[in-house]
Amino acid sequence: MHTCKNIRDRESGKLRADSFANRIKSNRISQLELSNHKELVSPHKGAINSLQIDLTEGRYLLSAASDASVAVYDVQRPSGYEGNGVISKHSSLFVVDKQHQLGHKYAVSSAIWYPIDTGLFVTGSYDHYVNVWDTNTTQVVVNFKMPGKVYKTAMSTLSTSHMLIAVGTEDVQVRLCDIASGAFAHTLSGHRDGVMTVEWSASSEWILITGGCDGAIRFWDIRRAGCFQVLNQSRTQLGRRPPILKRSVTTKDSSTKVRSAQKKFGNGSGSGQLPIGRLSSKGQLKQKLHPGLLSTQDRATAHYGAVTGLKVIDDGMYLLSAGSDSRLRLWDVESGCDTLVNFETVRLQTSKPIQLATTQNSALVFVPCMRVVKAFDMWSGNVHMVLRGHYESVSSCCFNQQDQELYTGGNDRQILVWSPARSITDEMDEGAPDDQDSWSN
Amino acid sequence: MSIWNYVVTAHKPTNVTHSCVGNFTGPQDLNLIVAKCTRIEIHMLSANGLQSVLDVPLYGRIATLELFRPHGEAQDLLFIATERYKFCVLQWNSETSELVTRAMGDVSDRIGRPTDNGQIGIIDPDCRLIGLHLYDGLFKVIPFDNKGQLKEAFNIRLEELQVLDIKFLYGCPKPTIVVLYQDNKDARHVKTYEVALKDKDFVEGPWSQNNLDNGADLLIPVPPPLCGVLIIGEETIVYCSANAFKAIPIRPSITKAYGRVDPDGSRYLLGDHTGLLSLLVITHEKEKVTGLKIETLGETSIASTISYLDNAFVYIGSSYGDSQLIKLNLQPDAKGSYVEVLDRFVNLGPIVDFCVVDLERQGQGQVVTCSGAYKDGSLRVIRNGIGINEQASVELQGIRGMWFLRSSTDDPFDTFLVVSFISETRILAMNLEDELEETEIEGFCSQVQTLFCHDAVHNQLVQVTSSSVRLVSSTTRELLNEWHAPSGFSVNVATANATQVLLATGGGHLVYLEIGDGILQEVKHAQLEYEVSCLDINPIGENPNQSHLAAVGMWTDISVRLFSLPDLNLITKEHLGGEIIPRSVLLCEFEGISYLLCALGDGHLLNFVLNTSNGELTDRKKVSLGTQPITLRTFASKNTTHVFAASDRPTVIYSSNKKLLYSNVNLKEVSHMCPFNSAAFPDSLAIAKEGELTIGTIDDIQKLHIRSIPLGEHARRICHQEQTRTFAICSLKYIQSAEESEMHFVRLLDDQTFDFISVYPLDTYEYGCFIISCSFSDDNNVYYCVGTAYVLPEENEPTKGRILVFSVEEGKLQLIAEKETKGAVYCLNAFNGKLLAAINQKIQLYKWVLRDDGTHELQSECGHHGHILALYVQTRGDFIVVGDLMKSISLLLYKHEEGAIEERARDYNANWMSAVEILDDDIYLGGENSFNLFTVRKNSEGATDEERGRLEVVGEYHLGEFVNRFRHGSLVMRLPDSEVGQIRTVIFGTINGVIGVIASLPHEQYVFLEKLQTNMRKVIKGIGGLSHEQWRSFNNEKKTVEARNFLDGDLIESFLDLKRSKMDEISKAMEVSVEELAKRIEELTRLH
Repeated sequence: MHTCKNIRDRESGKLRADSFANRIKSNRISQLELSNHKELVSPHKGAINSLQIDLTEGRYLLSAASDASVAVYDVQRPSGYEGNGVISKHSSLFVVDKQHQLGHKYAVSSAIWYPIDTGLFVTGSYDHYVNVWDTNTTQVVVNFKMPGKVYKTAMSTLSTSHMLIAVGTEDVQVRLCDIASGAFAHTLSGHRDGVMTVEWSASSEWILITGGCDGAIRFWDIRRAGCFQVLNQSRTQLGRRPPILKRSVTTKDSSTKVRSAQKKFGNGSGSGQLPIGRLSSKGQLKQKLHPGLLSTQDRATAHYGAVTGLKVIDDGMYLLSAGSDSRLRLWDVESGCDTLVNFETVRLQTSKPIQLATTQNSALVFVPCMRVVKAFDMWSGNVHMVLRGHYESVSSCCFNQQDQELYTGGNDRQILVWSPARSITDEMDEGAPDDQDSWSN
Repeated sequence: MSIWNYVVTAHKPTNVTHSCVGNFTGPQDLNLIVAKCTRIEIHMLSANGLQSVLDVPLYGRIATLELFRPHGEAQDLLFIATERYKFCVLQWNSETSELVTRAMGDVSDRIGRPTDNGQIGIIDPDCRLIGLHLYDGLFKVIPFDNKGQLKEAFNIRLEELQVLDIKFLYGCPKPTIVVLYQDNKDARHVKTYEVALKDKDFVEGPWSQNNLDNGADLLIPVPPPLCGVLIIGEETIVYCSANAFKAIPIRPSITKAYGRVDPDGSRYLLGDHTGLLSLLVITHEKEKVTGLKIETLGETSIASTISYLDNAFVYIGSSYGDSQLIKLNLQPDAKGSYVEVLDRFVNLGPIVDFCVVDLERQGQGQVVTCSGAYKDGSLRVIRNGIGINEQASVELQGIRGMWFLRSSTDDPFDTFLVVSFISETRILAMNLEDELEETEIEGFCSQVQTLFCHDAVHNQLVQVTSSSVRLVSSTTRELLNEWHAPSGFSVNVATANATQVLLATGGGHLVYLEIGDGILQEVKHAQLEYEVSCLDINPIGENPNQSHLAAVGMWTDISVRLFSLPDLNLITKEHLGGEIIPRSVLLCEFEGISYLLCALGDGHLLNFVLNTSNGELTDRKKVSLGTQPITLRTFASKNTTHVFAASDRPTVIYSSNKKLLYSNVNLKEVSHMCPFNSAAFPDSLAIAKEGELTIGTIDDIQKLHIRSIPLGEHARRICHQEQTRTFAICSLKYIQSAEESEMHFVRLLDDQTFDFISVYPLDTYEYGCFIISCSFSDDNNVYYCVGTAYVLPEENEPTKGRILVFSVEEGKLQLIAEKETKGAVYCLNAFNGKLLAAINQKIQLYKWVLRDDGTHELQSECGHHGHILALYVQTRGDFIVVGDLMKSISLLLYKHEEGAIEERARDYNANWMSAVEILDDDIYLGGENSFNLFTVRKNSEGATDEERGRLEVVGEYHLGEFVNRFRHGSLVMRLPDSEVGQIRTVIFGTINGVIGVIASLPHEQYVFLEKLQTNMRKVIKGIGGLSHEQWRSFNNEKKTVEARNFLDGDLIESFLDLKRSKMDEISKAMEVSVEELAKRIEELTRLH
């Protein structure tokens, strides 16, 4: 694809404007490499655990590190230049650390922006606290004490009616903290071990997905008790959707039907009907448990080992999970099945949660695999790119959709910027006599 | 200009995106419905051809347009889906002749990624459901119930991600779709699915076909009894069904459009990307398909949609050229073509670039656009003016005057047209066959030039020549009476009305005669101190036959005088100033106000308000209407008085809301004109111009006139150089060879004839990207500078380009200097005597340097990077505004002393720009990828560096069009005295052929109109129930926000077309009278 030709085709209407944008973005993403024109200056003295770019402007990057520090950078506007104006350097706008009043004492594992604007951000730490900070004053406005080390915090980007922070800790219960009231909303029980990853749904503000150290991935509707879906790695479908009904099936109560009851939330209306009926038809109940706790009986696992990373795909239909079993799985959210995409086996970190990133259009997923970051094609499972640059294990990836840039951070305390290749030759580099070496005298 | 902007369409979209045929307005009516992106046109096919029934705008960009007939309906219904995921079903109400909304809704989803290839919308042939493919991996179904009402929609998951086409199959017991898709190895396959409505899921379909033509792009479902589907590829066409498979090879081509000819589906018309029309025939025996045949029929405009109407009439809708109505003949013509073009419908789109020029150097802009694409490329010259519809014309040289005469005083129609030449007078009359034929009026003197003639009372005619005044009977045509000029004196100028004659001879003698029954009587004689240059006694006032005032223009003292009649007493003397004598003077009345118009020999027109009782002249205004002397003549059009000013820039003067308005006539030069109202040519004008006499009618509204100059190649950029009177264009030509290839050129055209006068071919793979005309400091010459890019097939982005500097010498392009660049030169600007170039991601400034050997060269001075791709650049003073590929607008400043360019501020939103313009020092306008407009403002007063470094977004609006270019300029003549004349405007051109105007309004006016717009929204309902507010909200991938600081002029101006009751409703809500509202809105219509 040639940029100049595409620009020409767009202006005559031969190429649709949105297709044009998608092509350019895909092309740029396929050329990602360690940036030769942008550098983020990390002030952290410990491993970087979490990175997030703000959702409103795509401009401010929030990073959290094991030395209890949290920093914010402006990735659009450099703080200085280097290399003859060619390399833009972006230093942190501010840092909060142990010295701060109510700052975290131990490693900060998760830092996220308040989804509505950059006025607040939320951090979770191994010191058992979740803090809500005011960005402008860098003061803690409210904090929540957890029963264990905090692994992950998450807030719904779709939310219009709640300000709940979902917190996964080393405790088995997932807690929801309400910023508005400063109190806990409720807890979600079901996991048998700590919860390392927590993600909100991309299609509903009420649906939360958690991945536990027990290998289970659970779907919760926070308005009801109990989870309504537990992903089971033995339930599979080959492909993007469950198999089509065979043509020979003519009556609807035939037993050759494969799928289970439809989940209506897949159609984009926020409220779904929960197939409570399904749970009750699962078999004889030994005890009279509250219907919401029926899911605790379900011991299905998604991974052989802890679930270390979760990522909801932007179109809301699929979920990517990474486990300490070094497996990556792509799940169909509606049917709850593993789509059996064969991701090449990789070594993944087992002791810490890892942060995965996906691109919007080109269906690539960036997975930190020890020291490198591998970009997998989401549907074929092939590795498209291997990004090498870190000196030690990488734990988090964050993709900036606006600029098609990837930010990665890991144990080497660096935040590396990966951007599409850019030629930086100067027009004035042609034959300026002073620049040439003179060999003869 | 300001941040409060008014956006209005000067020319509607002309790009045809969809068309369909059916019985929409009535069970027996054959309708053609055409969609032009944001407009729908409904036509009816009648014996006289296509007749327009309705032409309305839609608050959305149409993605799907389909006619269908649910069970039990007598007429077809129309289903429309828009790009922003709204849909509606429309029905025609024959009694009220209106569109009625049967259903409407929103089909957007929270999940799913929007498809890359555009939306697909299809309707089951048995009307069981509507299918939509809007998001990747999802097929949305809207079922019908058995009463024909739409039920709730649901989604079915599609395995296939890269879907190329989906269609419903005919003749299936359950609704079945056929899906053409591409797998991840780029192979193309076709699969069928049955839609199980109860399960809300797919069931495996009856058949599938793998590994089709790699270019398979289009599915055509075949109706019963054959059923099945045709798969059109680039090299093969395949017929596929449950029990048959037939394939034929075709000439390599990309089929873009198809139209079914027969209801049984045995023949189809296919249009390809080069404009070739072919006929595909499915040969069959009873219900068994035996094969396929294809035959080329001929060439048409490159079709985007083909609709077979009836009787071999076909409508070809085009996006790249003029749409056509063609007839398919049974026998080929001399060139072997079966295609006969019956009618052409102008399409301005895509407007890729345009310039605003004043070709006639008379203060009114014309827009010259680069329109069309591929072989249908053309230049269009668009001018605002009144048109003359020519009905008859005859060649006649040397016309010196024309007058109409009637055969009797009571006859409502004119019979005679007296045409005067230097040494003779000819009389034409309408004969019984409605033809103009030469005739004679015996009483007239035909051997000399006639100075004036007129109807007179008592069935008489009067003719004034240089020696006498003749009174002739109109019935017998015999001479009744004659007045002779005194010997030694000849009549120089004369005028007459039904009862009076006023003439002036040499020596300043003014003679007044009265016309009686059979007698001419000299009543008064006056001696003036100077020679008389022009006279007028046009009756204004109650008596249409008699005037009590005479207007006289004088030599020497350059004055115009008013005399009373019959005494010839001087009432008023008005000095006109200057040295140019008045050549024509006219008394006239508009809307009850009397005026005196006085036209000077240099093309200026003075007008005064005349107080008829005391002859006082007030309110003097002067306007330039041309460069040649003007003759003024009144005429009536639709019972209103107008004045025709004939000159080298003919103009019609009329009055509206008590203001005099001037409207250009779409003619080059008119020497004489007279109104002619005959039975065969009612309300016509006879117009004399260079060697020709034309009779025609005049349009009653001023509108845009388009002159098409087909080029046969695709013009991409255009620029005008006034000094050399040339245009230069960057164009490309497609060379049909084994491998498609292009050749790019820089061409020089004459700015009057638009002929190619010189050409400079560019290198292989070199594209012409931009062209400007400019000069440099220390050099008086004016140059054309062209920016190019080398587009090599193996590269993603150009790494090489050139800047070429040409001068025009003896009508040829001479290359003066050439500079190689390290990337594509996307934009060039003349900047402070230097050349500013946008090269890939850099802005580079070049100096024009004189070398020792006397030649010039471009030397780079400084540059700035920091863009993804700098595509659009505008400059003002030392400021540079850059529109980036995806990073919105940034503002750069050139610092003279340091010789450097630095960034001052930028807009941090991720806008993908399509065009940029500077409105004023602080406000910049941008058009972006998702069809929105927005304005940003420089914040020089910000407290922090961060605030000053940010361009604040101050206006947002969804235009619904992809703007390729903005240019300051105006389509209409700007009158210095009008309110509207002060408003500066920006013209824009879009892919759909829309020409629009953006005008900045003063805050008070903006607030008033905003309130009006809000009230209009309440009263006017959009077609299909679509909301105007939602339509105009700024909408892109990231956000949707309400429109801000932009007003929709099309909605506001539609007030003037409302029924009186609705106008009253709005008037009440605004607390302003209907007349005042109409007046203010009419003022605004003068912007375009």
